[in-house]
Formats: sequence, structure tokens, C-alpha cells
Amino acid sequence: MKIARTDIVFAALAAITGGITYARFGGGAVWESVERAGTLLLVVLPQLAAGLLIGGLVTRLVSREKVARWLGGSSGMTGLLLASLAGLLTPGGPFTSFPMVYALWIAGADAGALIAFISAWSLLGFNRLIVWELPLLGVEFTMLRFVVCLPLPVIAGLIARRLGRWSAFRLDDPAGRAE
Amino acid sequence: MNGPLILVWLAVIVLAVMVWRREGVVGLKEGGVSALGIAKTLSLRLPLALLTASFLIHIIPVEQMTRLIGPTSGLAGIITAALVGGLLPGGPMTSFPIAIVFMHAGAGVPQMVALVAGWSVFAMHRMLAYEAPIMGWKFIALRMGSSLILPVLAGLFAEGIVAVVGEIALP
Repeated sequence: MKIARTDIVFAALAAITGGITYARFGGGAVWESVERAGTLLLVVLPQLAAGLLIGGLVTRLVSREKVARWLGGSSGMTGLLLASLAGLLTPGGPFTSFPMVYALWIAGADAGALIAFISAWSLLGFNRLIVWELPLLGVEFTMLRFVVCLPLPVIAGLIARRLGRWSAFRLDDPAGRAE
Repeated sequence: MNGPLILVWLAVIVLAVMVWRREGVVGLKEGGVSALGIAKTLSLRLPLALLTASFLIHIIPVEQMTRLIGPTSGLAGIITAALVGGLLPGGPMTSFPIAIVFMHAGAGVPQMVALVAGWSVFAMHRMLAYEAPIMGWKFIALRMGSSLILPVLAGLFAEGIVAVVGEIALP
């Protein structure tokens, strides 16, 4: 298996945070974290597999031209609204949504649409709202939070299109992303 | 099996049937190959990322931050709450219970809105565990740049609404 630079970064992060945990809370806390991470991995795997398959299948169904037309750089306000709606409706956790963002990226969606999609998923996603926020934080608070967040994905998409003019924020072509 | 999991696998089945009807077995194979490609990339970094995230749950001092985000803390409190939200460790199963702790400790409603929005947008844990491995750091830079003001906007909108409709009932 090839080990990319990103993998080394992640190994270093795990080592540093693990070292801090050990120094401050001892070996028990480290072991507890390892167990928690293992459990989390097992919980996540079936959803991650589904997310990757959804991403792969969507690339077969939606042609490059269509995505480029609906969500590409010249899709304007409609593209941002469409992307936001798609993000709001996307079920599952980050292990489902990010593979979908990646698939849309490969298929020709522009930076604004990608940002609007992921912002809508994270701020307005129904799944988490129903499962966690509603029971734990109450109906009134959840409604207030949802309503004030409603316009935010489109705003983020507009900002992303502006930022894309600077090279620091311009996304590379995903096809050229060597792993 | 839980509800969301059934839902995503139903989506997989529906999409697979659609692909099969259009392209036959070849289309299904191609879709699988593309999924497997990303899975290979993730095989090493995802476990490492999850490990980092669970170490962070120990390291971040959550409860000391509550004092800064009371109902009278205004814009400064909203900005602080958005940052605190971004630092909340773990997925919804750990972060929402922590959010309740803040709420009961006396955080203001607009500040709580900014906190939950900040967690939704910045979620450091999610960024490390899924976004960086799948989308790369440049995408994260763009997304952070684009969404920096979102939780603050949410808090300010909420402050406006609370000023009009009065206090919000909390559980």
C-alpha cells in the first residue's frame, strides 16, 4: 500500500494528541481513546461503505455536462439554490456526504455549489436535526436555529465564488489530485 | 440497524437499480471501482483520524468556557460561542450532550444558536476525520474562508428574532 504525505500528517496528529493525553491523563485515558476510536470505526464503516457506493453510482447516473450545467461555474443563483436543496436532503453522516461532494466535484460542480451543498448538509440536514437536536435541545430552539440558518448556505456559496478568484482558495482539478 | 443507516442503504439500492437499468452490469462495476478507489485512500488515514479525534475529547477543556457566553455577552459572546462550537469534540452523540451542559450552565439563546451553528460548520473533528482525507486541505481552506461568518450571522439573526418574539422556551 502506498503511503501518501497526508497519511504521515495523520499519523503525526495521532501521535501528538496521544502523547498529550498520556502525559496529562495517563495510560488508562489513552486505552479508553483507542477503544472509543475502534468502536467508532465499526459504527461508521457500514455508513461509509454506503456513502462511497452512492458517490460511485451517482457519477454513473449524472453526466458531466449535466452537473456542469446545473451546478457549474455559470449556474448562477439557481445552481447555489439547487446545491443547497440537495445538501439539505442528503441523509447520513460525514462518511456519506463527503464522498458525494467528491463525486459532484469530479462531475464538474463549481466551488460555490460544493460549498453551498456541504454547508446546507451540515447546517440544515434533517437527519441530525430529528435524531439529536430536537430531542435534546427542544422544538422552539431547534426551529429558531433552523430558520436563522436557512439563508446561510447560499451566502457561503456566493463567498466561495468570490474567494475562488485568489489562487490560495482556488481548487485544483480533482482529476489531477495525485494520491 | 438504525433508521439513518437503513435510509442510506435504501438509497444505494435505488441508485444501483437505476444504474443497472441504464448501463447494465458494466455500470455497476465502474461505480464499484470508483468507490473502491476512495476506500483504499481512506484505509490508513481514517482509523488514524478517528484516533486523533478521541484523544481530543480528553484534551479540550469544555466546561471552563461557559462563563464567556451568557445572555448579556452580545456579539463578543456570539463570536466566542461559534469558536467554542467549532472546538466541541466528537459527532452529534458527544457534542449535543455537551451543548446541553452549556445551556443549563446559563448560556444565552443567540449564543447557543451560534454554538450549534459553529459546531455544524467548523466541526474540527469532522474536518480531521473525513473532510481532509476525502477533499484535501485546499478545499478546507476554501470552505473555512467561505463559512467563517456563518455562525456569527446565525447568532445575530437569532438575537433579532428573540428581540421580536421574546424569550425562547428551553427544555
